[in-house]
Amino acid sequence: MSSSTRQSLHPGLNLGEEHGDDHLEAETSVFGFWVFMMSDLVTFGMFFAVFATTMPLPCCPGPKELFDLGSVAWQTAFLLASSLTSGMAILTLKQEHAAQGACTKKLVFWLLVTVLLGCGFLYREISDFISMAAAGGPPTRSGYLSALWSLVGLHGLHVTGGLIWCLVIVAGILVRGVDLRWKLTLLRWAVFWHFLDVVWIAIFSFIFLGGLL
Amino acid sequence: MEKNKEFRHYLIGFVLATVLTIIPFTLVATVGGKITFFVLILCAILQLIVHLRFFLHLAFKGQQREDLQLVLFTGLILLIMVGGSIWVLGDIYNRM
Repeated sequence: MSSSTRQSLHPGLNLGEEHGDDHLEAETSVFGFWVFMMSDLVTFGMFFAVFATTMPLPCCPGPKELFDLGSVAWQTAFLLASSLTSGMAILTLKQEHAAQGACTKKLVFWLLVTVLLGCGFLYREISDFISMAAAGGPPTRSGYLSALWSLVGLHGLHVTGGLIWCLVIVAGILVRGVDLRWKLTLLRWAVFWHFLDVVWIAIFSFIFLGGLL
Repeated sequence: MEKNKEFRHYLIGFVLATVLTIIPFTLVATVGGKITFFVLILCAILQLIVHLRFFLHLAFKGQQREDLQLVLFTGLILLIMVGGSIWVLGDIYNRM
């Protein structure tokens, strides 16, 4: 009960007091990662600003010809579900790995499910890129298309990076067990993964749905 | 008890986020128009808050102030840079 009233030093995801010294260590290192995440958010914000100041030209296909609402819905579903499963992984870490040497099966399971969902997202996104290029909307065609491809592509690159990072973590905890180093890495990765879903909210709302209105 | 509470927290967040995703997608596919645009913005902002609250566990109480300042300061930077760019370029567009 006391843990619900205790002061948490830094925002968001943490390990909890059962983890002892690891908990304190995590508070500061995760906060450091938040600082990086916020500067990354500014990068995304500037890509959004570039996109917002361009508009589809009459010469080239616009949102109605290029966007596939069904596919965007699938991508959103994949990413949202993966956010939940990554949350389950962090919950498992928090509740079952306070002592070293706990069974890693459940943790690895949730991480791999997250990777699968992330791959589903990437698959739909890449096939959308291919069909957009085929429909006469490659990034070189207009300023609007360049801004669109670079913003959505930047997010896609982040997702790809997040997936590779997750696989490295899985390999790491299978080889070394869930020690302090991998606990901290897992927390940072979870902040990163949830953050990508937050950016996706803005992308599907303003670029895809807003474009189709 | 504490364990179940944390699990429920994630589940509530997931359900809220799903609802806030389905609403704009359905409206764009069926209704469209100006009102849909405002609903779209509202749902996006609400879902943003849901994600920060239920997945990233940010809260106004139970934490020191510096983290809130970090997020708010980033919000301010974004407002100035993104809002400013759109404003300036929109103004130039209107003068052309």
